[in-house]
Amino acid sequence: MTTRPVLDVQDYSLAYDTPEGEVMALKSVSLAIRPGETHALVGESGSGKSTLAWAIMRYLPDNARDVSGRIALSGEPLLGKTLPQMEALRGKRIAMVFQDPSSSLNPTMRMGEQIAEVLMRHRGMDKAAAWTEAEAALARTGIQRPAEMMQRFPHEASGGEKQRVVIATAFACNPELIIFDEPTTALDILTAQQILDLFLRLRQETGVAALYISHDLGLVARIADTVSVIHQGEIVESGPVHQVFRAPKDAYTRALMAAVPRPDERIAVPEPAPARPLLQVQGISVRYGADGWLTRLLGKESVPFYGARDVSFQVHPGELLGLVGASGSGKSTMAQVVSGLRDFTGTVQFGGRDFTARGDFDRAYRRDVQIVFQHPDSSLNPRQTIGTILSRPLRLYRLCPPAKVADRVRELLEMVLLPPEFASRYPHQLSGGQKQRVAIARAFAAEPRLVICDEITAALDVSVQAAVARLLTDLQRKSGAACLFITHDLNLIRQLAHRIAVMQRGQVVDSFDVADANSPDRHPYTRALLDAVPLAEEFQGVTA
Amino acid sequence: MRDFLRNPAGLVGLCLLSIVIGAALFGPWLAPYDPQQFHPKTRLQGPSWDFWLGTDQYGRDLLSRILNGAPSTVFFGIGSTALGVGVGSVIGVIAGVAGGRTDSVIMRVLDGLLAMPELLFTLLIVTFLGGGTTQAMLAVAVTFAPGMARIARSSVLSVRTREYVMAATARGESRAWIVGREVLPNALGPIIVEATIRVSFAIMIGATLGFLGLGAQPPSTEWGLMVAEARQFMFRNPWCVAVPGLAIAFTAMGFNLFGDALRDAFDPKRSR
Repeated sequence: MTTRPVLDVQDYSLAYDTPEGEVMALKSVSLAIRPGETHALVGESGSGKSTLAWAIMRYLPDNARDVSGRIALSGEPLLGKTLPQMEALRGKRIAMVFQDPSSSLNPTMRMGEQIAEVLMRHRGMDKAAAWTEAEAALARTGIQRPAEMMQRFPHEASGGEKQRVVIATAFACNPELIIFDEPTTALDILTAQQILDLFLRLRQETGVAALYISHDLGLVARIADTVSVIHQGEIVESGPVHQVFRAPKDAYTRALMAAVPRPDERIAVPEPAPARPLLQVQGISVRYGADGWLTRLLGKESVPFYGARDVSFQVHPGELLGLVGASGSGKSTMAQVVSGLRDFTGTVQFGGRDFTARGDFDRAYRRDVQIVFQHPDSSLNPRQTIGTILSRPLRLYRLCPPAKVADRVRELLEMVLLPPEFASRYPHQLSGGQKQRVAIARAFAAEPRLVICDEITAALDVSVQAAVARLLTDLQRKSGAACLFITHDLNLIRQLAHRIAVMQRGQVVDSFDVADANSPDRHPYTRALLDAVPLAEEFQGVTA
Repeated sequence: MRDFLRNPAGLVGLCLLSIVIGAALFGPWLAPYDPQQFHPKTRLQGPSWDFWLGTDQYGRDLLSRILNGAPSTVFFGIGSTALGVGVGSVIGVIAGVAGGRTDSVIMRVLDGLLAMPELLFTLLIVTFLGGGTTQAMLAVAVTFAPGMARIARSSVLSVRTREYVMAATARGESRAWIVGREVLPNALGPIIVEATIRVSFAIMIGATLGFLGLGAQPPSTEWGLMVAEARQFMFRNPWCVAVPGLAIAFTAMGFNLFGDALRDAFDPKRSR
C-alpha cells in the first residue's frame, strides 16, 4: 500500500474557546483514507466525530481553533486555505451527505436546480448541460422518474427520495472524498437499507473514498473497510473493520460492542403467568386533520387521513409488548391514545373498565398508565428541579404524606441509579441518559400498572441505550408493571419483549411471540423489517 | 448575571439605562435652574459655563428641562408598555391555551387591529380620547396589545406541544396547574424580552405624539414636545433640537440593548 491517501489527518487537535475556558474537542487525531476505501468513524454523541467532519471541510464556528497537526486532501494541506480556496473545493473535491435529508435541501428550490447548481458552479456547465447531467446523476441513484423528480420541490418527495437527491448532488462532481454524516439515521429501517445499498453500488461504480460517520456499529461492520473508534475527542482504536471488531483491544470499543443489542440475548423479565389482559385496545381509529366548520360549510371535504385504523392489541399484566413499525406507522399515535393525549374512536379496556372517549379517562386510570417519552431533553420542564419533577406524581396522587416526599424522591433517584443530590439540579445540568432515567423514575413514582415507553432509547447513545433498557426491565421485575414498548429497533425489542406487534400505515399487520420471530408464517412486512437489520457475526458473544 | 455583564451590548445597555433611570428618579433635584425660568438675555445659546447644554428660545436652561422631563418621558414609556404588554399577553395566553374557535376568533380580531399602522392607530385613538399624557399613554398601550398578544400566543403554542406539557396532561394534572406551572414559566421569556424592547418604541411614539401636539401640552418638559417647540429655531441654535432628540435616542438605545442582552441571558441553558 504505497498509494497516497486521499485524506490524511495527522496528529490533529482542535479546541473551542468557551466562557468556561478552552475545551479540547479533538485530541491528536490521526487517520488516513486511501482511494476507494470507506473509513468509518464510530463514536457516541459529543465524541467529536462531527467536529472532525467540519474540521476537514474547514467550516468551523468562530470560537474553534486548530491547535496542532495537519489535514491534507490528496497531499494538499487544507489548514491555512483561504475561504475562496475552500469554497472552490467544497462540493467539488470533498462532498458531504448529512443526516436529515429534509433539512439539508433548500425547500424553496426545485430539487433539479439544487443538483444542477453544483454542476454549474464547479464544472462550469451551462444551464442546459447541467440539467441533463443532473438528470443522469439522479438516474444513477435508482430514482424511478428522474426528470419528474427534478421538477419537484423537496416537500413533494419522501425522505428516501430526498436522501437520494442529496447523494446524487454529492456524487455529481466526482469528488475525491465524500463525508457521510449518519446518512441513514433519520430514515426508516427499510429506506435506510435501500440507501445503504445505493451507497455500496455508487462506491463500487465511482471508487470514491468515503468517511462514514456513524454511531451504529452493526451498520459499520457491514459497509466499512477500516474503522476508527473515537471517544471524547481521541481515537482509541483503529484498523481494518473485521480485525477491530473480531478482536477489540480497547476497553471502550469492547464496551461499545457489548452494548449493541443482540436479539438472542434476552434481558426481559420472565414470562408472566397467563392472566386476563390488563389493557385491551379494541378497534381504535384516530383521524388526523378533521376539516374546520368553514370548510365543511363550503362542502370541500378533504380525504380523511387516519393515524391509526381499527387497531387492536392487548397487554397482559407484567408482560412487555413491543410495538414496532416504521416512522409514521401509527405507533406513537397509539401511545398517545392509551395515555389519553389524543381523541379516538373505539374502546380501551383497562383493568375491567371500558373507556370509549378521551374524556372518560379519570385520574385513577391516568395514575395506572404512565408514559415515558422519546426525547429526554423536552420531557422534563427546564424550570423545575429534578426533585420537584419527581415529587409531582407523589403529591398529585397523594402517594405518600407530604413530610415523606423528600425521602421518597431520594429513593426514586436511587432506584434509577442516580445520586440523591440530583434532586436539587435542573434538567439541563444532566446528560441525556440521566434525564431519561429521571423520566423513567417519574413514571414509576406513580406506582403504575402499565408503563408506555415511546421510543425511549431512540435519542440515546448505544451504551446508554443498553443501560436504560436494563434499568427498565429491572424496574418491571421489581414493580410487576406491564410495559408497552414502542420502538423501531428490532434487535433491541427482541431482547426485551415477550410479544411483538408490527404496525404498518396505521394498522397492526402482525403480532407474535418473540420466540416465533423467525417462523416462516410471519407477515412479509415483518420479514422485511427483520432482514433489514442483520447482526454481524463479530458481535456475537462480545462482552465488556 | 455574569454572562449578562460579559456581553458588551448588555453592558452598554445597562450603563445607558442606569443613567436614564437615575435621571428619571433624581433629575428634578439635580437640575441647576427652574425648568420654566426665562433668561431673556441669553436666548438660543450654545453650551456655556452657565448653561451646560445651552438655552432655548425663551432662554430656559436645556439641561434643567431635560432632567425635569426625564421622569415623565421614561414613566410614559414604561407605563404604556406595562399596560399594553399586560393586556396583550393575557389575551394571547388565553387564545393560546384555549385553542380552537376561541383562538381563531380572538386572533382574527387582533389581525384586523394589526393591519393598521401603529402610529396611525395611536393617532386615531388619541383623536377619540383627546390630547394629553394619560390619553397618549392609553393609546400606545392599546396599540401594543395586539402585537404582544401574538407574541404571547406563539410562545404559549410552542411550549404547549412540548413533551413535559404532554406528560403533565397524561398525568391528569388540572388545567390551572398545566398553564401556571408548566406552560407560563417557559413562555414568559420572549414576552419579557419583547416588553423591554417595546419600551423604546413607546418612548418614541410618545415623543412623536408630543411633537405633533397630541401628547403632553406646553409648557411641559416632555422630550418630544421640546423637539417640536424648538423646531422653528433649529437653524439659530441646533442644540435645542439636538439635546432632547439625543436624550430620546439614548433612552431608546438603552432599552433596546438591554432587551437584546436579556434575551440571551434568559435562556436557562446558557446560565450556569
